[in-house]
Amino acid sequence: MPGFRAALPAALLLLLLSSFPPAAAEQPPWPWTPGAMHALNPSDRHASRAAWTALHYSNYHEASPSTLRALRQVLKATVKIIPGLGVKYYLQFTTEGYINGENAGSCLATVLYLKKSPPEVYIKCAHTQDKKQIQEEDNKFYHYLHHQTKPIIANNIPDSHGNIDRAHLPLWGLAIAGSSYIMLEKSTENLGYFMAQVKAVKQRIRKDSAVEFEFIVLLHETPTQKIELCHMHLIWTLSPPLRVKYICTSDNHWLEDGSGQDYGSAAGLFHEKEGNF
Amino acid sequence: KTRNEEQLKKLQFLETLDHLELDFWLNPSTPALPVDVRIPAHSLQAVKVFLESHGIEYSILIEDLQVVLDREKQDIVASQQMERSSSAFNYGTYHSLASIYQELDNLASEYGNIVSKIQIGESYEKRPLYALKFSTGRGNRPAIWLDAGIHSREWVTQASAMWIARKIASDYGNDPSTTSLLNNLDIFLLPVANPDGYEFTHTTNRMWRKTRSKNSGSLCIGVDPNRNWDAGFGGPGASNNPCSDSYHGPSANSEVEVKSIVNFIKNHGNIRAFLTLHSYSQLLMYPYGYKCTPPADNAELNTIGKAAANSIQSLYGTTYTVGSICTTIYQASGGSIDWSYDYGIKYSFAFELRDTGRYGFLLPAAQIIPTAEETWLGLKTIMEYVQDNPY
Repeated sequence: MPGFRAALPAALLLLLLSSFPPAAAEQPPWPWTPGAMHALNPSDRHASRAAWTALHYSNYHEASPSTLRALRQVLKATVKIIPGLGVKYYLQFTTEGYINGENAGSCLATVLYLKKSPPEVYIKCAHTQDKKQIQEEDNKFYHYLHHQTKPIIANNIPDSHGNIDRAHLPLWGLAIAGSSYIMLEKSTENLGYFMAQVKAVKQRIRKDSAVEFEFIVLLHETPTQKIELCHMHLIWTLSPPLRVKYICTSDNHWLEDGSGQDYGSAAGLFHEKEGNF
Repeated sequence: KTRNEEQLKKLQFLETLDHLELDFWLNPSTPALPVDVRIPAHSLQAVKVFLESHGIEYSILIEDLQVVLDREKQDIVASQQMERSSSAFNYGTYHSLASIYQELDNLASEYGNIVSKIQIGESYEKRPLYALKFSTGRGNRPAIWLDAGIHSREWVTQASAMWIARKIASDYGNDPSTTSLLNNLDIFLLPVANPDGYEFTHTTNRMWRKTRSKNSGSLCIGVDPNRNWDAGFGGPGASNNPCSDSYHGPSANSEVEVKSIVNFIKNHGNIRAFLTLHSYSQLLMYPYGYKCTPPADNAELNTIGKAAANSIQSLYGTTYTVGSICTTIYQASGGSIDWSYDYGIKYSFAFELRDTGRYGFLLPAAQIIPTAEETWLGLKTIMEYVQDNPY
């Protein structure tokens, strides 16, 4: 049986085997002494996963569609086991703009994965963009969304061919910022997330200065390869915090009816429900 | 333009002077009608002098005919290419299964001397599994296997495989390294390893990954074809839940798509490299996935991988991470290159193409050709190594 060392009594082995979760994410058998810092190969998947966790934190907390970042490369990574608390990663990595793909400078971050709560992140990134320029771009996004007289409704961002309408870029940005909150909460040392697609988005026009949307987003979970569908409600007031409420349905649920139903049918929810959850 | 009979006679005299090589488009017949002449450069001075000395009016219609002809030829070639790409196959966009299969026929017909289409089996829903054979020789030459699209939602892989197919075919006889490669090895390319899944991503669910086989005792459909190979089957990193996207299936090779490749490889008997394309993450990986202990050829495979990653990077700066499946992506049992490696095919590599998460599976079509171009450089590096290192 892979992963189990020899010298265990048969009965105990049997007990362990029966409790081994079949579809669980891997459990890394860290051979390291707790309390000490251990260097990781920068190409180690745990390092990139931790780096993305840090970026989810930053992408959510900045509440700024024009400063969304994606991971480029991990440069350095070390890890420390903190007994009774969790595992802490120390990272240095390069990034690129999520929307424009251009170099967005490097970041330093620590990510502490806890046993029962979402990870605790500290992150500091070099600024490659002029602060004023960022503000201007966010303002442009905000005003475009805020000045709609009819609620924006859209589907499939990006579409199957990876295309995004220019007019939908701010929606994509907001969805990423909001989804980052969801992904941050779900991220563990062994489970990572990417926002795969905005299946549907509907605006709720408000009288005050806030911008409000309901989204259906698809999250790609690794290493399970699961596609998770989340219904997300978001309120943006230009400055943080971004207010996000969500509920996710796992892939399993949607497949149980056997039809392999398109997630897009869930967009029908927007036309039926009016209330918040 | 002649004004009278006398001038006309002069022009007719000019016609008789063969050494001038004049080409009369409109022959001198009556003074009323203009005469058009094409004059070669070497005769130009003489003709001008002749016409002027006899007071015959002339005007230049086309200064330099050659230029016009050259440009016209360019236009024809360009429009032919456009015609081909607009009515046939645009490599810079994503295609339906039917369109891909049509293009396989086009390639086999256009490059019939080196390309043939073969069928290695049928999918669960009875779609043919078509591969291209690139071969310049007879008999069972050592060969390289390349597949794409085993996970149907990874659209950039099927698209890249098509571009690579045309690239190999058109480079033979023109590019020294491809020519040398095909003079020594055969290449087998399966651009859509999971056609049922691919069709499903077009008609119903863009995010579908698995095959479309029915699972007994469950309403959930499909098996993860890259957990279904006979290599650590059923081990960590694969699920035994049919509803999971990494469901390994009821047994190794239960999926006909997988079994077909296994049978082909075994029957061929002389496959020297096994290469497979996935997306996304920009990784270049070698075995193992089912266990985290390094393969015997770890050092060599790592060196080749790094060289290939450098080739990829050389074109557009795209960086790939190189390593074993277990350390680089995750521990995953039942994977294809683990099987091929343990079967004896030493040079077994899996690529995860662009990008690293921004677009993920929904890679913009504009990135297809750049991705294919850089991937081909990486594949070529590996293939050249295989050619130079027989075993």
